[in-house]
Amino acid sequence: MTTDDPRPVSLRREGDGLRIDWADGISTFVTWRTLRKECPCATCTDERAKPPNPFRVLSAQEVAAGPPAPLKMAPVGQYAYQIAWNDGHSTGIYTLAALRKLSEPTS
Amino acid sequence: MPPPQPGQQKTPLPGIKHVIAVASGKGGVGKSTVSANLALALHMYGQRVGLMDADIYGPSVPLMFGLGTVDQTKTPFPIEKYGLKLMSMGFLVDPNQAVIWRGPKVAQAVGALLFQPPWGELDYLVIDLPPGTGDAQLTLSQSAPLTGAVIVTQPAEVSLIDARKGVRMFQEVNVPILGIVENMSYLGLPDGSKLFPLGQGGGAKLAAEIGVPFLGEIPIDQEISKCGDAGEPIVRKHPDHPVSHAYIRLAQTVVNELMKRPTGGALPEVEL
Repeated sequence: MTTDDPRPVSLRREGDGLRIDWADGISTFVTWRTLRKECPCATCTDERAKPPNPFRVLSAQEVAAGPPAPLKMAPVGQYAYQIAWNDGHSTGIYTLAALRKLSEPTS
Repeated sequence: MPPPQPGQQKTPLPGIKHVIAVASGKGGVGKSTVSANLALALHMYGQRVGLMDADIYGPSVPLMFGLGTVDQTKTPFPIEKYGLKLMSMGFLVDPNQAVIWRGPKVAQAVGALLFQPPWGELDYLVIDLPPGTGDAQLTLSQSAPLTGAVIVTQPAEVSLIDARKGVRMFQEVNVPILGIVENMSYLGLPDGSKLFPLGQGGGAKLAAEIGVPFLGEIPIDQEISKCGDAGEPIVRKHPDHPVSHAYIRLAQTVVNELMKRPTGGALPEVEL
């Protein structure tokens, strides 16, 4: 991440995902499901490195939550956003570079 | 005191135009002296300036401004002295008492020192960071709306190695580097010549290497520590001293750098 990386001009919910308009004129879209799946926190990164466990029991909160959705998405300094999810998870800090990489350009 | 949560405040430091972090990778390069004198030099330009001492383990501001610990129940913070608004852990803890805290507690204290005092309207808030790239530095870099960072180094290579690490930390969290200040650059001799006991050109070399401005050289002079230890930094006590002139030039250069670059401001809020 450097200060030359593109900065977002606006971010808003659009359907089941996040629309980001960037300062360099590009508009991108990413689903909440992708963002939740690619959570960059240490715990989730660690989990992704393990073989999938088909017998993992979902917590009551995960079951009640349904599809991933953000309850809150707040800026962190000048370099990232932190998302609090409806399944109770909130430690992932998504850098601007990560948001750009995870989202697909649509214009 | 609750830690500042990312995004908790929409404008975390309302009323403050520019927040400048003064950092170094290595300890002992004179970062606190540079911070205090830079803040006073900015004030001499008629600016409203605050100085936050973020060194939890070794605060210097109380000594350098002739203040000690104060009664927290009776003293309004930030404390005003020489026209600056000051905040430091040293106001709250006895200087002979060691602060022995783990990282999360440090991060919490640093957040409280920055976000809790009513700073009011300021043109500049100078933050004197502790040396290194640990919890305090990371907390401030991530949660404070920093306009930019000034990196202090000595000319010697041993100091430059750690200064590079400080630069990388700020780059990692997207905080612009305003430039490099070389402290203890030279000793001015009575005949007008200069002696370079710690080497020459290290700061300019580092600035060129990472592509940021070289903000200036500050000479060594025993008057600097004498004034600091006596509770009145040199820029305030001897404004016509050559060292004070160097600080005044530094302040002007920092102001020019800030004017040149768009800060980008805070990241936009998300419409959910």
